[in-house]
Amino acid sequence: MNTSLIHIIKKWVPEKSKVIDFGCGDGSLLKDLIDEKKIRGYGVEIDHNKIQECIHKGISVIEKDIDEGIQDFESCNFDVAVMASSIQCLKEPHLALRKMLKLSKQCIVTLPNLGFWKCRLDLAQGRMPVTPNLPSSWYETKNLHLCTIKDFETLCFEEGFVINEKFFLDDKGAKSAMASTFPNTFASEGIYLIAKK
Amino acid sequence: MKTKTELIKFNQGLDLESGARLNTFDLMVETYGELNKDKDNAILVCHAFSGNHRAAGKSSDNEALGWWDEVIGSGKAIDTDKFFVVCSNNLGGCSGSSGPLSLNPETNKLYGKDFPLVSVTDWVNSQKLLSDYLGISKWHMVAGGSLGGMQALQWAISYPNKLKKAGIFATATKSSTQNIAMNEVGREAIRKDKNFMEGDYLNHNVKPKSGLKTARMLGHITYSSEDIMDQKFGRKFQDIKSKIEGTVDYEVENYLQYKGEKFSDTFDANSYILMTKAMDGYDASFSSNGSLEEVMKRIKAKLLVVGFDSDWLYPPKRSKEIQLAAMNVDVQCSCVILKGEQGHDSFLFASDRYVKIIKGFLDSK
Repeated sequence: MNTSLIHIIKKWVPEKSKVIDFGCGDGSLLKDLIDEKKIRGYGVEIDHNKIQECIHKGISVIEKDIDEGIQDFESCNFDVAVMASSIQCLKEPHLALRKMLKLSKQCIVTLPNLGFWKCRLDLAQGRMPVTPNLPSSWYETKNLHLCTIKDFETLCFEEGFVINEKFFLDDKGAKSAMASTFPNTFASEGIYLIAKK
Repeated sequence: MKTKTELIKFNQGLDLESGARLNTFDLMVETYGELNKDKDNAILVCHAFSGNHRAAGKSSDNEALGWWDEVIGSGKAIDTDKFFVVCSNNLGGCSGSSGPLSLNPETNKLYGKDFPLVSVTDWVNSQKLLSDYLGISKWHMVAGGSLGGMQALQWAISYPNKLKKAGIFATATKSSTQNIAMNEVGREAIRKDKNFMEGDYLNHNVKPKSGLKTARMLGHITYSSEDIMDQKFGRKFQDIKSKIEGTVDYEVENYLQYKGEKFSDTFDANSYILMTKAMDGYDASFSSNGSLEEVMKRIKAKLLVVGFDSDWLYPPKRSKEIQLAAMNVDVQCSCVILKGEQGHDSFLFASDRYVKIIKGFLDSK
C-alpha cells in the first residue's frame, strides 16, 4: 500500500479504537496502527504466506475468505473496518459494504478509479486499461467490479452511507490539485471514510 | 536433545473441582532442552487423552517415539535448542503420575476405581504447582492439541499472568454432544467387559482388555478421516500371513485390531474412563454460567488457534468459536484452518504450514 494511503488511514483511525482490516496482507498497516495509535487490531487474510507474516509480526490474523466471512464478526463491535484495495475483487461489493457497516461504526475503503483519464485513454484506444493502480492485464486481474469515483459515490448515496471523509490521489500516489478538484477524471485512487446514516 | 525424566512428589496436595482432595500426588515429568538463566524460554506441552509425559524422542530403541516428536526437537517447530520443553503425565493417567494404578497413601492400597474424578482445570492447577517447583514464573507458551488444547486454553483463563502465549490446536471450549456420545460407547465397551469387575479388576488380577480394545478401535476411527482411511487402506484385503484375527478381511480391520490390541496392553481401563470423563466434562464457560466471553475476558496471553479441515471430532467451527469469543473481548488471537489429511490426529503431524505458523508464533513478540 502506498505511503500516502497509509498516512491518511492513520489520520482517520481514532486512538485506542478497535480495528478490523479485511485483506490485511502482511499486517504492516495494523502493526503501524498498533504501535502508533494503540489500537486493538485484527486482520483477515486468505493468502498463506501473508498470514504467516502476520503471525510472525505478532498481529492477530484470521484465515478467511472475505467473500464468505464478513458477517461472522458481527458481534465484535469494531470502531473501524478497513478494506484497502480489495473491495473491487469481491463478488458482491455492495453487500460487503453493508456487512462491514453492520460490524463496525465506520469503514475505510480504498478503490482504484476506472474513470481516471489514463484508463479512459486506454479504452478510447480500444484496450483494457493498465495503469500503476490497475497493473494486471485483463486475463490476470483479480478485479471483478471496477468502478469510477462517481459510481462509488452514487452507490453510497443509494445505500444510505454517509461519506465522512474522502481523499484522492494521482497515479504517482500523491495528492494533487487536479485529483482533488476533478477526482472522477484525475484521481487514480480514492479513499473514503463512510458510515451508516 | 537433553532429556530428563523425573517423578516429582507434591506434598502440598491439591483440591479437586469435584470437591475431593489429594493430600499428596506425584507427577511424572519429562523435559527437553535447557532452561535459560532468565527462565523465560519454557514451554509447557499438554498431552491429549491417551498421551503421556513422553512427548519427544525415545529413551530406548524398542520404545515408540514421543507423541509430539514430529513437532518437538532440535530444529523442529518447537525447537529444543531454543526452548525448554516440559510435559507431564496428567493426574489420573497411567504412565507414572498419580492415578488409578498408584498406591493410595491413605489406605496403602492401589487406587483403582477409587481414584477421584479429575478435570481439565485440576490438571492445569497441578501443572501450575509443577511450574512453581521448576521455578518458572511465566511460560513462553502453553500448548497442546485436543484434550491438551483444552488445558492450554484453561491455562490462559486460570493463570492469565503465568503465560505469554497459548497454542490451542484441534480442540474446542467444550466437548460436543457427539464427542460425549462417542466416549460413552468406548466406556460402555469397557464396563461390559466381564473382566472389568465394576472397576475392581486390579484386585482380581485381571484386565478388561477386550473392552479397552473395542474402545480404542472406535477411538481410532474418530481420530482419522474418511479420506485418510481411503488413502491408507482403501478396500485392500489383508494378506493372510499378517492377519491378527482370522475374521479380518480388509486391511483397515487388521489395522484397528492391531492398534486396539496394542493399546489394551498398555493403557489402564479406569484411566480411560477418568480421562474421557474429564474431556466430556470440560466447559471453559462453566464458571460464568455459559458465557464464554465472560471467562475469556481474563486472558492476557496471545492465542494461536489452529483447526484442521479433515477433523470431524473437533471440527474447524470449534476453533472459530474460540477465535470469535477472543475477538469479542479484545483478546489477541490468530486462527488458521490447515489442510490436515489425518483428521483429528492432524495436530500431531508436522505439516509445512503448521511448522511455519508455530515457529512464527513462538518468535513473535
